[in-house]
Amino acid sequence: MIKNNDTISPYQITMIVIMTIVGVGIFSLPAQLADTAGSDSWFVILIGGLLNLMPLNIILMINNRFPNKTLPEYAQDIVGKVPGKIITAIYAIYFIIFVAYEVRIINEVIKSSLLLRTPSEVIMLTMILTATYAVRGGVECVARVMEMFFPLLFIPLFLIMIPGIADLDLTNIMPVFYNLSSKILVSLPNMALSFAGYEVLMFYVGFMENPKKAYKSANIGIIFVTVLYMVIIILCLTMFGVTMLKDSIWPLLGYVRDIDLPDLFLERLDAVMLAIWLFTVYTTIVSLYFVVTYSISKILGTKEQKQFVLPLVPIIYYMALLPQNIVYLKEMENFLFQYLGIILIFLIPIVLLVIAWIRKVRGEVS
Amino acid sequence: MSLFNGNKKSSDNDKEIKNRTTDSLDINIGKVKETLKDCDDIVYKEFVVGEEQKLRFTLVYIDGMSDTTLLNMTVLESLMISAREVAPDASKFADKLYELVRYGNLPASELKGTEDLDEAILDILIGDAVLFIDGTATLITIGAKGWPTRGVNEPNTESVIRGPRDGFVETFRKNTALVRRRIRDPRLKLKQMKIGVRSKTDVGIFYIEDIVTKELVDEVLRRLESIEIDAILDSGYIEQFIEDDPYSPFPQISITERPDHVAAELYEGRVVILVDNTPFALIVPATLNSMFQSPEDYYDRWFIASVLRFIRIIASFIAMLLPGLYIAFTSYNPGIIPTRLVLSIAASRQGVPFPAVVEAFVMEMTLELLREAGIRLPAPIGNTIGIVGGLVIGQAAVQAGIVSPIMVIVVALTAIASFANPSYNLSIGFRIMRFGLMIIAGLLGLYGLTLGFILIITHLTRLKSFNVPYLAPFVAMRTTDLKDTVYRAPIYKMVRRPSLTSRNKIRLRNNRGIINQKAKGGPKNDKKQ
Repeated sequence: MIKNNDTISPYQITMIVIMTIVGVGIFSLPAQLADTAGSDSWFVILIGGLLNLMPLNIILMINNRFPNKTLPEYAQDIVGKVPGKIITAIYAIYFIIFVAYEVRIINEVIKSSLLLRTPSEVIMLTMILTATYAVRGGVECVARVMEMFFPLLFIPLFLIMIPGIADLDLTNIMPVFYNLSSKILVSLPNMALSFAGYEVLMFYVGFMENPKKAYKSANIGIIFVTVLYMVIIILCLTMFGVTMLKDSIWPLLGYVRDIDLPDLFLERLDAVMLAIWLFTVYTTIVSLYFVVTYSISKILGTKEQKQFVLPLVPIIYYMALLPQNIVYLKEMENFLFQYLGIILIFLIPIVLLVIAWIRKVRGEVS
Repeated sequence: MSLFNGNKKSSDNDKEIKNRTTDSLDINIGKVKETLKDCDDIVYKEFVVGEEQKLRFTLVYIDGMSDTTLLNMTVLESLMISAREVAPDASKFADKLYELVRYGNLPASELKGTEDLDEAILDILIGDAVLFIDGTATLITIGAKGWPTRGVNEPNTESVIRGPRDGFVETFRKNTALVRRRIRDPRLKLKQMKIGVRSKTDVGIFYIEDIVTKELVDEVLRRLESIEIDAILDSGYIEQFIEDDPYSPFPQISITERPDHVAAELYEGRVVILVDNTPFALIVPATLNSMFQSPEDYYDRWFIASVLRFIRIIASFIAMLLPGLYIAFTSYNPGIIPTRLVLSIAASRQGVPFPAVVEAFVMEMTLELLREAGIRLPAPIGNTIGIVGGLVIGQAAVQAGIVSPIMVIVVALTAIASFANPSYNLSIGFRIMRFGLMIIAGLLGLYGLTLGFILIITHLTRLKSFNVPYLAPFVAMRTTDLKDTVYRAPIYKMVRRPSLTSRNKIRLRNNRGIINQKAKGGPKNDKKQ
């Protein structure tokens, strides 16, 4: 029988990593990488995945130093009460912008393909409100939502991708490994972007009974995402070729749209793909949204996170409305992932870990 | 080792008695008559025993509730006629009269002595007979329940092609016997209690002691004991009192009429609640997965069972999503379906004055109306309703130009699909969801439909039944539990019991290796001999 308290299993950690990272980014990722890495982008993303293992494991090291504690708790242990709360607040703000960004992108995609005349307000508010239902369920519900949507997302996804294989042209990934090192350097910001999301582990691992098991689970999660990205990039690359891929906004949708299924019940798969895709955006939003409400409840020192869920809806909605158009949205994206992201994913965890070492603080094993 | 030492039911005389009997027959009977005033179906049979006719007895029972043949043979005949042969002398035996009568004179199998008048009155109301003896305070209760009952029939709601044909009836004792027949194990426990301040309905909790988890039994008992109501008429009352989320459209407790189903669930470590006066047993905890299972799945070969189960799951998706998909595709995203199909749908919808949402609502409402009317009517008229409904849904509505022929197909498909689920109350849940999804698909197309679907899945993930997640084993994943989900593994491969409910995990030995060995080596050995 399942215990009633809020604990997360190692398998659920893998699910959280996968379902949080895989979000709207996957729509545009092949195009952005093709722009910087050309025909080698499938290899560059592999490097990117491996590079991301380092900050991931640093995060896990802090978590293991403070078992059963989440970032708001151990940050206060390491740097003191007020600075700890400030760090938590920075993360909360970052995740709020992250959620708003996801909501805005899905709005753009839906408006361009499914609902051409429906006002953005309706699309964004319904999406946010749907997410609030899961977030109000607490960490147990959030983890189970990730677990449940994983097969619902990936089984149809792979089924949809398979028919396109007939149209692929492998010569498109030639030349291989041309000018690789500079390509990797130029693509670094993109990699931070496409793997952003696993920093939520600073919160979720604290709910595990045995945080040591998180190493294996989280690393498997990142590797799964890397392989998934590689497959998608190879498919898009071989389907379109570098030159075409660079100019498309959402190449994955284009890939699915180009699949021709004569005399089947469904002719255009991209709308179906989008519907399924909503699952993963939803899980990303839920995962981040929970972290935001949890941080706020810890900063204010309340027991429950529930009551902060609905008051955040207008804030997220307002932030999602801020970028005027897709160009400003790109600026928001750059700010979020290239500046804030690198600081929050990479720098702060390292600093926290070093201070914890120097001050010799560590959590008690309960 | 008993789990509930502290909770043991009191035996004959060991609890505090409020309304104690006296030595005098007249006072005792007077009290009973006072309590049961204006109950004209109660029989007070007064008679005297012995040569000198000095011993006065009164037998009290309810006409129709007790078996009079049994009472005539075991009480009246033996006391009034047989006892005369060895005449008890009143003066000699007066102080031992109770022991003599109880242990020597009543050839009935179920006897009980009590000095509590309230208990005796309750026994009378249950259908037993109570014997009052003048000069003795102790009353003798004779188990003589014999009210009209229905015989064991094939259950109506869960018919199977292959499998046992017996179903529960309205009598509690017959039902417990049907379960016991399938589990001849001393570790099968039955805890009984009476719920309902006025109805005093028998409620029994079945579990197998070394398979079930103790927390589950405690939780079930705790929830049952918290019920305070005047009457329990069906297990549905109990279900509504003890379920986890009363606001969910999905049932969190499975119900069944089949003793073989109950036995199978007990062997998996679940707890079964049987209630008197109803053939429906409650099974807790229930998961969505368990509601897709029919007992027949385990009697057929695994391949057939797996295919059938897959069909059921597809059917549930159709029942829930198809009208919504029709609305989304025709009014918002016709580009998804092939051009020729779009053209034929458009052609068939030509002249239909309503948008697809209204069209779908009209037809689905008609379907639900037909279904409801069909249930309420007696069977011969029910057929007429079917024919009339077929005409309305099919021919006439299309010819009148109110709906399109494609819509008729959609409605027919959802109707068939919603009845393919073995669990009636679950399919109602899906049907209700269908209307919500139709509205949201009418408002936001495929996007809205997907959001609605996400909401339903999230709701299911939040649900719990007695602390077991409703979507187990898909959430809180254990790979061994997946053997009995969308597909049903061969029985010999399901070595372990479901891990979420049971503790004594191993339930069988995989014998395939031995059988294959024998099949290969068998003929050789024969030759040698």
